[in-house]
Amino acid sequence: MTARDSGDRLRVAAVAYLNARPLYEGLDREPASARVRLDCASPSEVARSVAEDEVDVALMPVAAAASVGDLRLVRGCAIGSRGAVRSVVLVGDRPVDSLEELAVDLSSRTSVVLARLVLRARNAGREPRLLGSTPREAIAGVRGVRGALVIGDPALEIEGRFPFTLDLGLAWWEMTGLPFVFAAWCGRQGALSVDDERLLQDARLEGLARRDAIADAHAERTGQPAASLRSYLHDAVRYDLGDEERRGLERFYDDAAKGGLLPRADVRFFDDDRHKVFPVESLDTLLARAAEGDRLSAAEGERLVADASLFDLGLAADAVRQRKHPHQVVTYIVDRNVNYTNVCTTSCRFCAFYRPLGHPEAWVLSRDQLAQKLKEVVDADGVQILLQGGLHPELRIEWYEDLFRWIKSEFRLGLHALSPEEILHIGRLEGLSVRAVLERLHAAGLDSVPGGGAEILVDRVRRKIAKAKCTSDEWLGVMRVAHHMGLRSSATMMYGTVDTARDRIGHLVKIRDLQDETRGFTAFFCWDFQHERGTRIESGDSGTVLYLRQQAVARILLDNVDHVGASWVTQGPEVGQVALRFGADDFGSVMFEENVVSSAGTTFCMNAESMERRIRAAGFKAARRNVRYDWLTQPV
Amino acid sequence: MTLDAIRDKLRTRERLSFDDGLALFAHPDVVAVGQLANEVREGLHGDRTYFNRNMRIEVTNVCVASCLFCSFAKLEEGAPGAHTMKLEEAWGELEARLDDPPAEIHIVNGLHPGLPFSYYEELLSGFKRIKPDIHMKCFTAVEIHFFATHYGMTYVEVLERLRRAGLDSLPGGGAEIFHPDVRSRISHDKATADEYLEVHRVAHGIGMKTNSTMLYGHIETFEHRVDHLMRLRGLQDETGGLQAFIPLAFHPDGNGMRNLPAPTAVDALRTVAVSRLLLDNVPHVKAYWVSMTPEVAQIALRFGADDLDGTIVHETIYRAAGSRSPSGLTVDNLVRLIQEAGRIPVERDTFYSVVREYPRATLPEAALKVRDRNANKHLEVLS
Repeated sequence: MTARDSGDRLRVAAVAYLNARPLYEGLDREPASARVRLDCASPSEVARSVAEDEVDVALMPVAAAASVGDLRLVRGCAIGSRGAVRSVVLVGDRPVDSLEELAVDLSSRTSVVLARLVLRARNAGREPRLLGSTPREAIAGVRGVRGALVIGDPALEIEGRFPFTLDLGLAWWEMTGLPFVFAAWCGRQGALSVDDERLLQDARLEGLARRDAIADAHAERTGQPAASLRSYLHDAVRYDLGDEERRGLERFYDDAAKGGLLPRADVRFFDDDRHKVFPVESLDTLLARAAEGDRLSAAEGERLVADASLFDLGLAADAVRQRKHPHQVVTYIVDRNVNYTNVCTTSCRFCAFYRPLGHPEAWVLSRDQLAQKLKEVVDADGVQILLQGGLHPELRIEWYEDLFRWIKSEFRLGLHALSPEEILHIGRLEGLSVRAVLERLHAAGLDSVPGGGAEILVDRVRRKIAKAKCTSDEWLGVMRVAHHMGLRSSATMMYGTVDTARDRIGHLVKIRDLQDETRGFTAFFCWDFQHERGTRIESGDSGTVLYLRQQAVARILLDNVDHVGASWVTQGPEVGQVALRFGADDFGSVMFEENVVSSAGTTFCMNAESMERRIRAAGFKAARRNVRYDWLTQPV
Repeated sequence: MTLDAIRDKLRTRERLSFDDGLALFAHPDVVAVGQLANEVREGLHGDRTYFNRNMRIEVTNVCVASCLFCSFAKLEEGAPGAHTMKLEEAWGELEARLDDPPAEIHIVNGLHPGLPFSYYEELLSGFKRIKPDIHMKCFTAVEIHFFATHYGMTYVEVLERLRRAGLDSLPGGGAEIFHPDVRSRISHDKATADEYLEVHRVAHGIGMKTNSTMLYGHIETFEHRVDHLMRLRGLQDETGGLQAFIPLAFHPDGNGMRNLPAPTAVDALRTVAVSRLLLDNVPHVKAYWVSMTPEVAQIALRFGADDLDGTIVHETIYRAAGSRSPSGLTVDNLVRLIQEAGRIPVERDTFYSVVREYPRATLPEAALKVRDRNANKHLEVLS
C-alpha cells in the first residue's frame, strides 16, 4: 500500500537545517539513494508535502504533524533535546518573564507553541503579546519590554549577546523532567514498510558518526566556530526517539491541546500498527469535542467529512456558531460588487467572464460608469464597494491609485478591493514587492482585501484549474502581508472541480494556520464551482447537501475565524437561508450585481427586506454590518 | 424547549399529539426537528428515494372558483390567457413523447363550467388508446366534487365513470388548508374540507389510491397546519388509501395574496419534517421540487421526504405564481439530485413498485466525474 514515485523509490522530504543533516544525509548516498527520492525544503513546505500526499515520509516539526493528525512516527529517530538545546531561545534586555511583547517567526509553530507553554507555566498563565517578524528584525527589535524568540543558526550566532536568555529545551526539561522532541520522521499509517524504517534508522546511525564532518562543513559555509557547532550536534541536539522522548512529546501535545494551541494528538509509531490496535475515538466524542470548540486536526476533519451525517455536522457547526455569536444575530452588508474590467490574461478554465485584451467584448469601466454605480450604492445606504477585475495587462498602479483616491474623495464608501491575484499582478507589472503595492494602494484608499481567488489552496488542484494563477503560498503570502499591515480580509474556498475531501480540509487548515499568525481574516465563505457553458472544466463534487456539509465542517475547523458567511449568491436565497442553521452567522451582501458568477449562469437577486425576512424566518435577528462586522443597525 | 419527550414517543411508537405538532412547528432549531424526521424516514425507507417518469398536463385553466392563492386560473372562457385544450392537443402531448414515454400522466384543471362530462371521459380513454399501460392520475377531489354537483352525480358515480374511461388514481391537490377560518377566506367557492375528504374516502372505498396535499405559508397559523395534518391522519386511519403527502409552498406572484411573502426554505424543510412526524400512517412524504426548488428539495430528502415526485415536463401552475423552478427535469437530473443527497434513487410506478433501482453514489465526498454535474442548477427544460 506504500505509495512510491515512478521509479518505485520511497519519497522522503527533510528540512535543510544543520541539526537535521545527521538524520537524512545518509539517504543521499549509496546504497540508500537508489531506494529513496530525497527533497529538502522549508519546514512548512515539508509539512505541506505530507498533508498533500506528495511524499511518503518527512522529517517534520511536531506541531505541523499534530495539525495534519493521525500520523505515524519512525521509532528511534528525532531531533530533540534533554536540557539545553541552544538553538531555540528567548532573549531580552530584561528577564524573559517580564517581557510584554515577543517578536517571533510565527511560521515556526513548534517553537512558538513551546515558548507559549513555558511562559504560561512560569507566569501563571500570562504570556507576552506575539509579534510576527523575520529573524533579523526580531533580533534587531529587542529592547525594553520587547524580546524575541530566536531559532536555528541565528540563535547560535547570538549566543551571549543578550543579558537575559531562556533556552527553551532547558526550560522544558526543568518544567517536566522530560526530553523535548522538535521534529521526527512522520507519515501516514501504512506508508512505510519495516525495510523503509530500517533505511531511515541506518541513515541516522551513519549520520551520527559523521557529525563532526557535518559541523565542519557548516562552519565553513557560515563562518561560525567549528568547535561550537560540533558540540551543538553532539551535546545539545539529541537524535533519540524512545519511550522517554515519546512521553515528552505526549506531554507537549497534551499541554498544547489543553492550551488551545494545537489539535489533540497521539504519538504513534509505525511499528505500533504491526502489533497493536488503537482504540478509535467514537464519532460522538469527536462531534462533542467539535461542538465544544476543540481544535481538530486535518485527519479528524476528514473523519467528520467521511462519517458524520448532515445533522451531526449541522448541529455541531450550529453549536460552534452559538458559542461564538450567542446573540442569535445574523448580519449582512449592503454593498456592491463592481468589476472594473473583464480583460484578463489568466484564462482560468472555470471562468466564463474574462475576455482577452482587444476582444470586441472587452471593456474597462469609465469614471462615468463607475460614478453612476457608486452613486446608486450611496443612494441605497450601501457602505462599501467590492472592486475586483481581471488581470489587465495595461492598467498601471497609478491607474488604481488615482481611481482609489477619486472614489474615496467622491463617495463615502468602504473600499474592499483587489484580490491577491490582482495585487500580485500589479506587483509583477511594476516590479514592486507585494508589500510595496499594498502600501501604495492602502495610502490611496484601500480599506480591506477580498478573499477571492483562493479556489483550493492545494497546488495540484490549482495547476489543473487555473494554471496561470498564483500558487497557494503566493495567495497566502499576500494575505499575510496585508494582515501585518493592519488590513483585514475575508477567506474563501471554491470547491467542486478536481478537488478531493482531503484537499478541501487541507485548504481550511492552511487558512487556520495563517490565521493563527495574523488574526487578519474576518470571515470565511465557500461555494461550489458554478458550471456553465463557456468554461472548459467539468464539475466535481457538488450539490446542496454537500454545500451544507462543507460549510459546517469549515465552521467546525476554523476555530480562529470569527465569522462564516452563507453564499446565497451562488447557492440561491433558499439554500443560503438553510445554511444559516449550518454554522453561518452572516448572510453576505445585498448585491446589486455580480458579473463573474452571473456570467456562469447563476443569477439570484435579494433585497435587504427579503434578506432580513429570511434571517428572521430562520430564527435569528438581522443586523447590517460593515466590512469589519461591526453592527450598523440594532438587531431586529 | 427540548425535543426529548417527542423523541421518546417516537422511539416507543407512541402517536404524536396535536400539541406535539405545534411544538415541532414552533421549535427554534429546524435542524433538530429535521433529524427526528430523518430517523423516521430512514426507519421506513432507509436511503431509498423515489421518483417517477410523469408528465403534468393542465387541459384547461378556465375556472369558476376564485381562490386567492391561484395565479393560474382565468375565470371565463375567452378571458385573456384563458385556454382549453382540444382533446387532440392534449393527446398530442403524449404522442410527441412516445420515444421516451412517461409512465404516468398527472392532469389537474380549472373547474370549467362549459365542458360536457364526456370531454373528460374521452380525454382519459384517448390517452389509454395511445399507450394502454399509462397510469392516469387525474382530477383533484375538488374537481371530482365539481363534476358531481355540476353534472348531477354522486361521487361514486363520477369516479366509476371516470375509472371506466381510464382513471387510475387521484392526485392530492385542492386540499389547501382545511380549517374553515382559512378555507372560507382563501377558497370559499369550491369543495369544503369535508367534501374534499369525502371524495378521498369514497375513492379509497372503491379501491382507488390517492395522494393529499397542504398549501402552507400564506395566512394560516401553525394550529391550522396541525389541524390539517390531523384530519388527514384521521382519514388515513379509516381508509389507508393515501399513498403520499405533499406539502405545497404558497407562491405569491400574480394572485390575490400577492402582498404576502412566500414561505422560506427553512419553513419548507420544517413543514416536510413535521408532516413526516405527524403522518405516521402515510407511507410517503414528497419533496415536490416544483414547489420548493430542486436545491431545497435535495436537502428535504434528509428532512423526512422520501420522494422527489417526477420529471413533470410541463408544470404551469407554480410557474404562473412566480416559481423559479424549471418546468421539467430529466431522469438524469433526478437521479443526480438524489445521489448528491447521499440517497439511493429508485424509479417507481404510481403505486411505488420498483421500476429500477440506481446505484448509490459515493457522495457526498467522492468525485462523480460526469458532464454537467450541476444539473440541479442548470436544468434542461424538456421541450
